Amino acid sequence: MIEFKNVKKVFLNGTVALDGVNLKINDGEFVFVVGASGAGKTTLVKLLLREEKITSGKLMVDEFDLAKIPNYKVPFYRRQIGVVFQDFRLFEKKTVFENVAFAMRVIGEPAKVIKRRVPTILKIVNLQDKFDCFPTELSGGEQQRVALARALANNPRTIIADEPTGNIDPNMSLEIMNLLIKIQKKNKTVIVVTHEEKLVDYFQQRVISLRDGRVIDDRTGGMFNAQV
Amino acid sequence: MRKYSITYFIGQSIKGLWRNGIMSMASITVLMSCLAVMGSFSLLVININYNLEEIGVLNEIVVFVETERTELEVVDIYNQIRSLDNVNTVTHITKEEVKEEERLRFEKYPAVFKLIDDGGKNPYPDTFIVTYNDNSKVNTLQFNLNNIKGVENVRCNKDLAKSIDEVKNGIIVIFIWFLVILFVVSLFVIINTIKLGVFSRRQEISIMRYVGATNWFIVLPFILEGIIIGIVASGFAYLIQWYSYLYIFNTISKDFQIINLIIFEDVRIFVALGFLAIGVVTGIIGSSLSLSKYLKA
Repeated sequence: MIEFKNVKKVFLNGTVALDGVNLKINDGEFVFVVGASGAGKTTLVKLLLREEKITSGKLMVDEFDLAKIPNYKVPFYRRQIGVVFQDFRLFEKKTVFENVAFAMRVIGEPAKVIKRRVPTILKIVNLQDKFDCFPTELSGGEQQRVALARALANNPRTIIADEPTGNIDPNMSLEIMNLLIKIQKKNKTVIVVTHEEKLVDYFQQRVISLRDGRVIDDRTGGMFNAQV
Repeated sequence: MRKYSITYFIGQSIKGLWRNGIMSMASITVLMSCLAVMGSFSLLVININYNLEEIGVLNEIVVFVETERTELEVVDIYNQIRSLDNVNTVTHITKEEVKEEERLRFEKYPAVFKLIDDGGKNPYPDTFIVTYNDNSKVNTLQFNLNNIKGVENVRCNKDLAKSIDEVKNGIIVIFIWFLVILFVVSLFVIINTIKLGVFSRRQEISIMRYVGATNWFIVLPFILEGIIIGIVASGFAYLIQWYSYLYIFNTISKDFQIINLIIFEDVRIFVALGFLAIGVVTGIIGSSLSLSKYLKA
């Protein structure tokens, strides 16, 4: 479970990025986070990834208190979270298989486990025929699916997708969102940060709307909030 | 069970060094030069000490007796020397022993000694080697020895010893400054090499962080790069030191027989281990300094 309790984030230059955010996201929930530029979406993601520390309040992710977690424990916390970015962030000189295997290798998974698990994950994202392809040989949608596979590689409890459809065409966007729904059905928490009104409306999931660092709307099965 | 493969880290380090080939070469060259200069100075100081001990100039006075003195008079001189204050040991070298020593030294000129052997007068004096206890009283001792009747000459090397000691200390000071400067330069070059490596892999590092790599997993390949630079540089420095020392050894042995040099084989293990230790430590410090900001969470 993820819980923001009166979370405030103020940067060194005085910018208030989040101001008294209260949120609770249950295990296995699918959540859209929407808002205009500067609304605080990216900061929210950075706080969840513990790239930034909160200024005040309390942020709990499962058993981890992100305000108090010592630096040496942060990598172990991040293993509970899979992250997908708009720009995919794949290694161009590694194959699809190697890109996914990389995430497992860095946490010290044995080669045997990697060989067994990577094909299974690639099957979930429908890339079972693309093991040996390099990212440059794939479409945008396929590259995002590789990134999604990499995010799933270490069996995280939560997936955070930061504008996952920003660089791909509408059909592929739909496919990626369907995949995320499929992943959520495997009892994973999925948080999707997006601008795409149509996608949000189409999937009818919980929508958290941010403006000026505050939650202005939070409704389940709701529509894209026109005010943002 | 989760375990990391050391071959993965070594592979990553070698790839990193290869990717920044020119900077890696620069690091190795600078560190190698630093080690070679340091080794040369060390060997120079060791050889100066060795020669000082060999010729015994530090606490030794040589007393030459007038050549016409009889054996009884020489014994009397010996007793007078023994009775002087500050004398530690007195070794008598007879004029015959001196002659034999000189015969060996100038074996290329047998005719000179044939003249002496055939009834000529032995021109060499009886000699006493006097060692003393207290350096501060050496002037008094020298004065007293000069005042003994029958003493021709007293050779005291205290000034020479002092000069050599000053030169030695000067060399050590220069050596330390050279060492500090070269060490700092080596560190800077290694830091830049590793920074280039980190820069070219920044995307990889950011992804490693997102998927939960520990700091050690991220920095170990770079630390290993520093260690590899240190090992390679120390290996080359050792070879340079070996060959240059052999060259100098052969030259001095041939042209300056008065100078005794230690044999390289006697110190090779210290040179090798010293180079390796300094090379590796420099590599580790250099890479650690360049990675300090990446050790945050």
